[in-house]
Amino acid sequence: MSYSTSMSEPAAAHGHTLSAKEIRRYTFKVGLARSEGGIMELVSEIYTYVFGAVVLIVMSGAIIVGLRHSLGLGSEPAWSASALAPGFASLEPLQASATLMLTLAAALLSVQMNIGPIAMTVPQTFWWLGLPVRRRGFIEPGFFRSMIWPAAGAVAVVVPLSLGIGAASSPALVALATVCGAALALLLYGIAGWVQIVGGERWLRALTGAVTVVAPLSLVATALINNAEKTRIDMSWLQYLPTSWPLLVAGGQLWPLLVTALAVAMLAVVYANLERLGSASLKSSAVASAYVAGSVLSMDASELSRSLSNGSRSGHSWIRLPLVFHRGSLTRRSVLTMLSAHLTMQLRQPGTLVRVLVLAAIPASLASVQFLGNATLIAVVLYFCALFAVTGLGSVARFAAGNPSVDALMPLPAKTVRRAHYVIPAVGMTLWMIICFALLHVLGVGSWPLIILAVLAGPGLGGATLRAAFRPTPDWNMPAVATAMGPIPTGAIRSFLIGPDLTLISLLPVLICLISGVVPLLAFPIQLALTLIAYAWGTKVRKPKKKGDGGIFGLPAAAPTR
Amino acid sequence: MSKPHKPAKPAPGGPATAVRPELVRAERLRVGYGTKPVCGEIAFTLREAEAIALVGPNGAGKSTVLKTVVGQLEAISGKTHIRGQEADDRRLDFRREVAMVFDDDAFFPALTVEEHLAIVAAGHGSTEVDDLIDTELEFFGLTGERAALPHNLSSGQRRRMLLAAAFVRPRSLLVLDEPEQRLDTGMRSRLAERLRSEVDAGLGLLLVTHDPAFLSIVATRAIFVDDVVKKMTPDQAALAISFENPHAG
Repeated sequence: MSYSTSMSEPAAAHGHTLSAKEIRRYTFKVGLARSEGGIMELVSEIYTYVFGAVVLIVMSGAIIVGLRHSLGLGSEPAWSASALAPGFASLEPLQASATLMLTLAAALLSVQMNIGPIAMTVPQTFWWLGLPVRRRGFIEPGFFRSMIWPAAGAVAVVVPLSLGIGAASSPALVALATVCGAALALLLYGIAGWVQIVGGERWLRALTGAVTVVAPLSLVATALINNAEKTRIDMSWLQYLPTSWPLLVAGGQLWPLLVTALAVAMLAVVYANLERLGSASLKSSAVASAYVAGSVLSMDASELSRSLSNGSRSGHSWIRLPLVFHRGSLTRRSVLTMLSAHLTMQLRQPGTLVRVLVLAAIPASLASVQFLGNATLIAVVLYFCALFAVTGLGSVARFAAGNPSVDALMPLPAKTVRRAHYVIPAVGMTLWMIICFALLHVLGVGSWPLIILAVLAGPGLGGATLRAAFRPTPDWNMPAVATAMGPIPTGAIRSFLIGPDLTLISLLPVLICLISGVVPLLAFPIQLALTLIAYAWGTKVRKPKKKGDGGIFGLPAAAPTR
Repeated sequence: MSKPHKPAKPAPGGPATAVRPELVRAERLRVGYGTKPVCGEIAFTLREAEAIALVGPNGAGKSTVLKTVVGQLEAISGKTHIRGQEADDRRLDFRREVAMVFDDDAFFPALTVEEHLAIVAAGHGSTEVDDLIDTELEFFGLTGERAALPHNLSSGQRRRMLLAAAFVRPRSLLVLDEPEQRLDTGMRSRLAERLRSEVDAGLGLLLVTHDPAFLSIVATRAIFVDDVVKKMTPDQAALAISFENPHAG
C-alpha cells in the first residue's frame, strides 16, 4: 500500500505537509473501509434516529397534554386535583418557568464547560494534534457537531413551556420562541467554547453551580414566605433575565429574538479563535466526552451524573474523622472503622450531598406552583427525586462494589461488611424523607402520619441504595434484545432496573397514601414489612457464579474439551 | 542489556566544544497540580546533541516535569522556552520539532499499525512514507504486525508502535517518558544504542527512566527529581537508581 498515493499524491510528491482535512478524510476513509457495517449499518443508523425522534415527540406530547390538563385547559381528571392546603397562595407558572429556564441554562453552561464543549475523540487528539498542520480542520467538525445537543435540548424544553405558558400562543409564536430558545442555548455553548479557549472559568463554574442549587430552592422559599407573611414577593424580574426570553417571545414580544444575533456573533468569535485551543484542553475534553459516552452506553445514571459534573478534585480535604478505634471487640472496632471511612468518603463529596439535599426540596418546589400541586404529579416527581438521591448516596457502596479488595481487607464476614455499607445510606435517606415530607407538609400536602410513614420508608431506601450499587454486571451470555441503541443483552436491561425497583417498592405505601390523601393504620405495618424486605434484599450478599454457569438461555455451558 | 557505552569525550578544540544551539531552557520551574508543587524547583538547559535523564523515586514528579516542559501541563511558576520561544504546542514549528511519547496511549480501532504510522509520517510531510514505515516496523520488531489492528496487539507491541510513531517523523527534540517500559531486554538495548547515536548526531533528548543501564548508554547528563532537585552525572544517576539512594551523588 502506498500512502503517498492514498493520502495525497501531489502533496507528498512535493514534500509539503498535508492539510488537516486530508488527514481527517484519510483516517475516516480507511476506517470506514474496514468497518463491518455497510448498507445495513446505515439503515440501522437511520432507524435509530427515526425511532429516537418518535420517542421524543411522543414524550413531549404527553408532557404538553399533562400540562394543559393541569392548567385547566383540558378536562380535569379527579387525580389531578390540588393537594395543597385550601387558601394556599401558589406561585405564578411564569415564575416557575423562568426559574426552570434559569436552572437549566446554568446546568447547560456547567455541563458544556465540563465536557469541553469543543471536543475531538481521544484517538484523534492522540494521533492528530502532534502533526504540524493547522488544527482548524481537525477541530471544526467537533465544533459544529457539538452544537446539536444544546439546540436539541432547548427545543425539547421550550416547546412544552411555550405551549403551557402562552396558552393562547399561535404556532408562529411557539416556533419563534423555539428559535429564541435554540439561540440562547447556542449562545451558552459559545460562551463555554470561549471559556475553553481562554481559560479562567473558575468563577463561572462557581456561579453556575450556585444557580443550579439556589434557583430550585427559591421556588419553595418564595411560596413559604408569601404564605407566612400573607404577602407576595415580586419575582416578575425573573422573566426579564435572558434565560427567560423565549417565554417572552411565546407571550408575543419579539425583541428578545435579539439573542439570535448575539449567539451568531459569539459563535463567530469562537470559530475565528479555534486555532487557539491547546492540546491539553482538547485532550481533557476528549476524555470527558468519552466518559459521558461510556456512562450513557452503560446506562448508569450515577456515572452519567458524575461524568457531566466537574470531575476535577483538589486532592485535599479538611474532613478528617477517626479511623482507629481502641475499645471493644475486633468486630466492633472494624465496623466502626468502616462506618467512619464511609462517612469520610461521603462528606468529602460536598457537591453530591448538596445535590441530594436540593432533590429533597424539588417535590415541594413543584407543589408550590399554581396548577402543579396535584398529588399524582408530586408523587411521580418524588419517586424520581428519591431515585436520584439514592444514587447520590450510593457512591461509597458503588466504589466498594467496583473495588471488592478494599472490603476484603476487613477481618469481617461479607454479610457484616454489607450491613456496614447499609448504615449511612439508610440514615441519609431517612433524613432525606423527613426533609422532603416536612417541606410538603408546610405547604399543606400530606399530614403528620404521612411524615411518620415516610420515616419508616427511609431505611428501606437505604436497602435500595445497596441493591443498585452492588447490582451484578450484565450477563453478556443472555440473548440480545433489539433496541434503539442497538442490540442489548436482556441481562443489561434487567441490570438497569435493579435499584429503581426496590426504590419503588420501598416507597409504595407512602406514594399511595400521598395520592389518596389518607393514611390508614394498615399502611404502617405494610410499610414496616416492605422496609424490612428492602433491608434484607439490599444487604443480601450474592454468591459468586460458579464456573460453567450462565450459558445461553440459562443452560449450563458445555464442558470444556481437551 | 548490553554493556553500557560511555559517551565519547569531545576532542579539545574540536567542533563538540563549540556552543551548540539551545533547544530547551527551563527557568525556575515549579510544577504540580493546582498550586501544590510535586517536587523542588527545577532549572536546566538542553542543547543539541545532549540527552538529559530525569530520575527519581515513584511519585517524585518526573513525568509532571516532562509534561510541563513541553507545555502539556501549566507550570505553577517559571517558564520553559523551546528554541527561544515559550513552549506552546499550538505553534506549528513547535510540533515540527518536538516529538514526544508519554505513558498513555489511544488508537483508532479500525486503523492498522502501518496506517497509524502513515498518518504521522505523511502528516509531517514525508515523501518516503512507505520506506520510513518499513524501516521502523523492522527496527521495532513489528513487521509481522504491519496489518494488525491495535486491539490485536500485546501491550508491549502497542508500546513499540507508539515509539515507532516518534521515529517516522522528523524531530530535533525527543521527549520520552520511561521508554524502556514493557520492552524486552533486547529491544531496550537496541533502542538505547539508537537513541545514543541520534543524540551524537545532534538530537536533543529529554527522558525519564528507571533503568540504570539504559540511562548509562543514552544520557549525557542527569537530574535527580525529588523534594530537592539535584544535577548529577549519568553514572551518579545510574547508581542512585540502582540503589534507590537519592544521596548517591
